[in-house]
Amino acid sequence: MADISMATQPEKDAFFFHSRPSLLKRMSGQKQLILMSLPVLAYVLLFSYYPIWGWSMAFQDYTPIKDFTEQTWVGFKHFKFLFSDSVFLTVLRNTLAMSFINMMLGFVTSIILALLLNEVKVKWFKRSIQTISYLPHFLSWIIVTGIVANVLTVDNGILNVVLMKLGFIDEPIMWLSNPKYFWAIVGASHVWKDLGWGTIIYLAAITSIDPSLYEAADIDGANRYQKMWNITLPGIKSIIVILLIMNLGWILNAGFEVQYLLGNGVVVDWSQTIDIFVLKYGLQVGNYSLATAAGIFKTVVSIVMIAGANAISKRLGEERLV
Amino acid sequence: MRTNKYQLEPVVFQTFNIMFMILIAVVTLYPFLNTIAISLNAGNDTIRGGIYLWPRVWTDQNYRAVFAGGTLLHAFWISVARTVLHTVLALFVTSMLAYSLSRKEYVFRKPMTIIVIMTMYFSAGLIPHYFLIRDLHLVNSFLVYIIPGLVSAYNMIIIRTYIQTLPEGLIESAKIDGAGDFRTFMSIILPLCQPVLATVALFVAVSQWNSWFDTFLYASSKQELSTLQYELMKLLSSSMNLNSSSAVTNGGSAMEGTHEVVTPASIRAAITIVASVPIIIVYPFLQKYFVHGMQLGSVKE
Amino acid sequence: MARLKFLGSGLLVLALSLALVGCNGNDNGADKQGSVSGNSGGEVSGKLEPITISAFIKSANQQPTADNRIYKKIKDELGVTLKMEFLVGDLQQKLGVMIAGGDYPDIITGDTKLVGAKAVIPLEDLIEQHAPNLKKHYEKSWNRMKDSSDGHIYWLPNTGVFTGEVTATTHSGPAFWIQKEVLKEAGYPKLKTLDDYLKLIRDYAVKHPEIDGQPTIPFTTFASESKMFPLVNAPEHLAGYPNDGNVIVDNGVATVFSDKEISKRYYKELNTLYNEGLLDKEAFVQNYDQYLAKLSSGRVLGMFDQQWNFSKATEALVAQNKGNRTYVGIPLVYDSNIKDYYRDRSVANLNNGFGITKDAKDPVRIIKFLDTLITEDWQKLLNWGEKDIDYKVDENGLFYRTQEQREQQADPTWKLANKAEAFLAQAPKWEGTYSDGNASSPGGQPGEFYEVLKPWDKEVLDAYGYKSWTEFFSPAPENPVYYPAWQISLLDGSPAAIANKQMNDASLKFLPKVIMSKQDQFESTWNEYVNAFKKINVKAYEDRINEQIQWRIENWTNK
Repeated sequence: MADISMATQPEKDAFFFHSRPSLLKRMSGQKQLILMSLPVLAYVLLFSYYPIWGWSMAFQDYTPIKDFTEQTWVGFKHFKFLFSDSVFLTVLRNTLAMSFINMMLGFVTSIILALLLNEVKVKWFKRSIQTISYLPHFLSWIIVTGIVANVLTVDNGILNVVLMKLGFIDEPIMWLSNPKYFWAIVGASHVWKDLGWGTIIYLAAITSIDPSLYEAADIDGANRYQKMWNITLPGIKSIIVILLIMNLGWILNAGFEVQYLLGNGVVVDWSQTIDIFVLKYGLQVGNYSLATAAGIFKTVVSIVMIAGANAISKRLGEERLV
Repeated sequence: MRTNKYQLEPVVFQTFNIMFMILIAVVTLYPFLNTIAISLNAGNDTIRGGIYLWPRVWTDQNYRAVFAGGTLLHAFWISVARTVLHTVLALFVTSMLAYSLSRKEYVFRKPMTIIVIMTMYFSAGLIPHYFLIRDLHLVNSFLVYIIPGLVSAYNMIIIRTYIQTLPEGLIESAKIDGAGDFRTFMSIILPLCQPVLATVALFVAVSQWNSWFDTFLYASSKQELSTLQYELMKLLSSSMNLNSSSAVTNGGSAMEGTHEVVTPASIRAAITIVASVPIIIVYPFLQKYFVHGMQLGSVKE
Repeated sequence: MARLKFLGSGLLVLALSLALVGCNGNDNGADKQGSVSGNSGGEVSGKLEPITISAFIKSANQQPTADNRIYKKIKDELGVTLKMEFLVGDLQQKLGVMIAGGDYPDIITGDTKLVGAKAVIPLEDLIEQHAPNLKKHYEKSWNRMKDSSDGHIYWLPNTGVFTGEVTATTHSGPAFWIQKEVLKEAGYPKLKTLDDYLKLIRDYAVKHPEIDGQPTIPFTTFASESKMFPLVNAPEHLAGYPNDGNVIVDNGVATVFSDKEISKRYYKELNTLYNEGLLDKEAFVQNYDQYLAKLSSGRVLGMFDQQWNFSKATEALVAQNKGNRTYVGIPLVYDSNIKDYYRDRSVANLNNGFGITKDAKDPVRIIKFLDTLITEDWQKLLNWGEKDIDYKVDENGLFYRTQEQREQQADPTWKLANKAEAFLAQAPKWEGTYSDGNASSPGGQPGEFYEVLKPWDKEVLDAYGYKSWTEFFSPAPENPVYYPAWQISLLDGSPAAIANKQMNDASLKFLPKVIMSKQDQFESTWNEYVNAFKKINVKAYEDRINEQIQWRIENWTNK
């Protein structure tokens, strides 16, 4: 019934009005869906897409002093500054590494905690643990890093004291002045702060698992770990995959606060991220153009990442974003 | 032997599990208790460090300083109003979109999904956004808290993913009964989505409650629209400012032992507690919607 | 069958909150109307039509209470209601948005960006015609206040304009600091050179490896992106130069010194200290809180810093009854033939203070208002407060405060209702003395200074035969014309601004390496640092400073 050449991508072609009669017919049957989504789409276009004209700043020496029409156009100057700076590669490496570590640690620890919480049968206890574990999310990074710095200090820092008492080390370790520990410290701080917060979404997903599956497994004599592995985990797999794909899009967003607050001159080659670089040489010196150029670069990387992840997921037959 | 192991395992597992949970609780409760302790400790003593779980020099000075301005109560209600209104609206709009985009037969599903998802990965920048808000006449208006940011692609995807795990048969049977998409959405999907809606509500509410930047940009010159977070940010900035410059202008006053009892660290602690306690209690309240499989059973009847 | 409980309860809350917002909104409206009508009703003459002046203030402050005593007086007597907005968050961001939006309050605190955006209006004619008091106040600074881009005056400097005698009793600027206890044990020697100072510290540290049960930290330093000066400014002072920030100026020519010999000598000393185990190991890792905590523990014998940067630690020491562990500032130099130049004469705080924006409805009224406030009586009210309520006058006409009044002044809550601090900090003001000999503000009043001096302070001062902390320093000579170079603004995004950032980055990264290197590797790590500087466009930075110095010399000398 449909053109063979178009059969490979039916949806896309439908959108481009190639098969007009069938599209119109399908649309008329979906009036309510259209009414439910089109106004929202218009909203998104207005609030998110329309302001993109601001990206032209990346190609100007933008200054708020002048009107948009009076700005000086400079082509790719700011992109060149960004990519040609000698620290750019270092900064890119740090961003990717910390982002990846934080993401993986975050996923694994949150999922494990969600699975274990799900095994707690005493309701009040489970709820209390849930609530307590999400508390650090409400503390600002400056408070959390303050505590981290005190835990790690050479002078009576609790970590050094414990390690020395246990005999693992003979003299205190200078955790924050050794570059090789920095990424791990940032990763651990993230886990500490957002472990409980991260589990919420998985706990919600677990509720959608059909209880009859567990009953059937019980009858088959499955043990706890088999049930976790064969029922609970597959039950929340779709949300895990979706979150993973979405998060891969943010691979260049390793943040700046933690690194800024915990970092110091000694470890700067391992602590500085793209965001810190842009903050310093962009926003702090009033250079909005550089910040915009960096934003465009990050967007391009994001699109490549999610498109790739989405395609891989599709090939593996997993849940996908689009 | 086999039966023995069978009986022993749950006990061992539960014991270890509970111990592990207690460990998690201790580790995650500590920073919060520490913050409370600092908020109740005298500022010029906190500087010495070494405050853990219990204040060394008790004081209510930090909290008194937080409430001294007299603007907090009104700002608190603005915060509550913006959080509740925005959350309810955002939840409705986002889940409606999520439902539409979960329908495999929907003709615009794919392009719309792509358009919405993309919004997560770019930002136009501060200044174009400011122009948009200004041109919409939202500057210095309460609506600036409600209207922008209603549709979050992230939350939409989470709800959509949840809807997709629901049995397709439910929706089809509703359609067969003559329900249109909107009615199906309102009467079948929404109630079934309680756990995920509660989750997203929490996400939206927390970010609304915590935001101060929109007040800073769009409503800073109108005190009536100030939010709790913004008032507290003001306070925090002013205490930091005090720390860095007042001594320069006040020459000798730094020698006085009684000078400035409130320090940034202690005021920050008090602010954190005042700002976070109201929103923290939302979660235990929402937890009752995290009930296992309950809804499916009820609809099947 | 369907349950909409969740949504339903949400809607209920929504309705409730709507009602609440409504109520609050109404309350406010009513309040406002009441006050406005009350005002216009009380007004008689057309000359003092009540107006509201809106102001944006670039420092973060707390909003004063609605019934603040001083602001109320201003309103009652001058008919001016001040509507102030204070900075929250990042200033550059705020100004960027404000400029892009083109919407300004009536008056705004100084920033060169605003001049470029033509957001503020020239003030010289307004002052000449309507503000005789301001004209007199700024007489000596008049030429300096002119903008280097077009020669107009846009800002009314808030500090550094002196009248009468300057009565400085404490030194709040840079110095090498040493614990009073260390001086006492050595019998209060006179310290002149860095060597004298380090010897004293070494001797004390050897004799007292622990203080209050914790290891002694003989010397520490501090460096962070926002506060570089404790680490990088010391060399210029040791070499006898004044505080010009990143440069030293010889014959009107500025040179960056961080990578030069005068700096190397200081870092070599620190390197030696480090290898002897006498420099705080965590000096470059600690955050500001940890730095203050260390000083407050009383076990740090000395450091280079500006007094205001660690005054909190001093307060904490006093509160713990460890006054003997508080610090005395010493103006050290490399060699005894160098004259110390730590103290300088204050200069008008250029590009700061209020300017009037192009959106101001009545610039004449605003300048007249500021002109009234600079008169002596109003200055006394703003700085000291009201007689008998905030201060007392003794039989010789000297102002003083009772203990109770002093305590009030330290209470932040009380201040919000009884002082106009936030406005005064930015407004034109007197510094020095009034015509009756009283100090312009309580901190400078000699009586007030001795009153709060503790026994251990008196002991130190008596031992040296001094009456105030400033006597440890050579008196400030007349400033060079261009002084100070650190005040020169770098244009946003210019090569000079970028070079400045890069120099800071290089210092933060390499100086710790240099100082913590093994002694035989000092030279090679120092060369790494120098090479890092070579890759930076330091010349762009120096050129900007020099160009401005030249401009200043040309335009400021013929005063």
